[in-house]
Amino acid sequence: MSPLLALETSCDDTCAAVVDGPRILSNVVSSQAEFHERYGGVVPEVASRHHLELVNAVVAAALDEAGATLADADAIAVTQGPGLIGALLVGLSSAKGMAAAHRKPLIPVDHLHGHVAANFLEPDPLEPPFLCLIASGGHTLLAGVREQRSFEILGSTVDDAAGEAFDKGARLLGLGYPGGPAIQRAAEDGDPKAFDFPVAMSERGLDFSFSGLKTSLVYRVRDLGPEDTEAQRADLSASFQRAITDQLVTKLRRAVRAGEWPAIALGGGVAANAELRDRTRGLCDEIGLRLKLVPISLCTDNAAMIGSAARFTDPIAYPDYLGFDAFATDRSSVRAA
Amino acid sequence: MVLLGVDSATADAVVGVTAGGEVVREARVDPGPDGRPRHSQVLLGEIERSVEQAGGWARIERIAVGVGPGSFTGLRIGISTARALAQAREIPIAPVGSLAALARGISGGGSGQPALPVIDARRGEAFAALFQSDGVELWAPFVAPPGELAGRVERLDAPPLAAGDGALRFAAELVAAGATVPPPEDPIHRVAARHVCAVGEAATEATPDQIQPLYLRPPDAKRWLQRNRRVPGG
Ligand SMILES: [Zn+2]
Repeated sequence: MSPLLALETSCDDTCAAVVDGPRILSNVVSSQAEFHERYGGVVPEVASRHHLELVNAVVAAALDEAGATLADADAIAVTQGPGLIGALLVGLSSAKGMAAAHRKPLIPVDHLHGHVAANFLEPDPLEPPFLCLIASGGHTLLAGVREQRSFEILGSTVDDAAGEAFDKGARLLGLGYPGGPAIQRAAEDGDPKAFDFPVAMSERGLDFSFSGLKTSLVYRVRDLGPEDTEAQRADLSASFQRAITDQLVTKLRRAVRAGEWPAIALGGGVAANAELRDRTRGLCDEIGLRLKLVPISLCTDNAAMIGSAARFTDPIAYPDYLGFDAFATDRSSVRAA
Repeated sequence: MVLLGVDSATADAVVGVTAGGEVVREARVDPGPDGRPRHSQVLLGEIERSVEQAGGWARIERIAVGVGPGSFTGLRIGISTARALAQAREIPIAPVGSLAALARGISGGGSGQPALPVIDARRGEAFAALFQSDGVELWAPFVAPPGELAGRVERLDAPPLAAGDGALRFAAELVAAGATVPPPEDPIHRVAARHVCAVGEAATEATPDQIQPLYLRPPDAKRWLQRNRRVPGG
C-alpha cells in the first residue's frame, strides 16, 4: 500500500482525502455553502476563516476513515493554485507542516489538473486521450488530455465562469445559492424556449463568454418588473439554463470536430447540472463518443482528485518545499502539452 | 520547558526556541524588498532550523503560537503551520496573544511604565491592549481609530510606553496623548520569539482546533461584494 494524503482548500470547501493509486480510501468534504448563501457568492475572507476552523478536523476524519495515520502516508499532496490566495494558504501551510513534521515529500498540485485527474480514479478510470470540460463557479475551460501528467487548454472563459453565471442569474431571479441547483430546480416546470437569450457563439474558437448573458437577464428582469419576473420564473430559469448549456455543448461539439477525441469527460460543479449531462450524452451518442461522468462528489471540489493528480506530478523532497507559496491566478497554461 | 515560539501577526516572520527560559535560537525575517510579508516562504524553514538546533522535534515540549491580532493572512499561515506540526508530532500547543508578546518586550526595559503594544490594523486603525509592567492585562485587545486610542491613553493615570508597528504609525497621536514612543530603530517595536515563548510557557494548552486567530473584526463581506470581484477556484 502506498497511500497519499491530499488537501484541497482553493475555494469554499475544506477537503481532505486518502487515496491509494486510483483507489479512494476516504474523501471528506466540509462544505461552507450555507455560510456563503447570504452573500450570494463566496466571500474570500469568510472562506479562509472557515478553512482554518475546519482543516485539522477534516484531515483527521480523512485519515480515520481510511484507517491510516499520517505516518503511513507516502507523501502529502495539496492544491497550490489557482484559487483564492488566503484560502489556498491554509491548506498549503497545513500540508507543508504535516509533511515537514515527518520529513515526507510534498506534492504541489494544480487545481485544474485535479479536475482532469478525477477521471483517473476508480471505479472505471478513463485513459487519455479525452476532452474534458471543466465548469464551476471559478473556472470554465476545455482541456485536451493526451497524457495523465498534463493537459492542454483548448478554450476558456473570457469573462465570467459558467457557475458564476448560474449564481448571478439565481440572485437576479430571487433564487438561492449556489445558483446552479437552484436554477435547475426552478427550471423543471419552465419552457426553455420561452425567452431568447444570447448564446455568445460569435466568441472566437473554443473560448466561452457568459457576461452578455447575465446582462441580458438583468434587462429582462427589469423590463418584466418584480411581479412578472416572479410569475415567469420557471420559464426564465429554463431559458437561462438552456443558454448556458447551449454554449457549453456547442463548444464541446466544435472541439470534438477539430480534434478527433474518442471520449468526453465533464468536471466541476456545473457538471452536476442534469441538462448539461443529458445534452452532452446526446452529443456523444450522436457522434459515437464515449461519455465519462464521474460521480457528482468527484465533480465538485474534493481532495481525492488532488490525490489522483498527485500520482502524475513530481514529488518535492524534504526540505525543498519549505518555502513554497500558493498562486492565485491560472498558471495551468504553462503545462500545456 | 523547551518551547518553539512562532508569530506571524505582523509583517515579520518570528520563530525561536527557548529551553528553561534561555534562547536556543531566535530568528526574525523582515518583509521582502517590496514590503510584503514573506511568512509563507520563510516561516517553516526557520522553524525547521530552530528545532534542529534544539536537538530535534523529540525535544520540543510545547508550541507557542501568536494568535494576533494582526494581519489575517499572516496569522492563518502561522497558525495553520503550527497546528499542522502539533497535530503531526502530537506536541501540545498554546495560543499567545501577539500584543502580550510585544508587551513582554516593552516591559523588559524596566521603565516600570504600563506597556501599550500597538499593531497596525490597516484601514487607518490600530490593534492595541494595555498591560501592567508585571504583565497583568489592563485593557483587553481591541481595534480602534487612532483618535479613540489616544482618548483612552489620555485618561490614564500613568503615561504608558507604547511600541509596535502601530505605535510608530500613530506616534504623533500617541505622543500628544502622553505616551512615550521609542525611536523606530528600537527592537522594542518588533515581536521577538523569546517573548512569544515566555508568554506561551505560562499559557494554557489547547487542542489544535481550538487555536484560532484573534480577528477583532468581522469579515468585510459588504466591501467585497461591492467590488464584485471574480472568484477563482471552486
Ligand atoms: Zn474547482
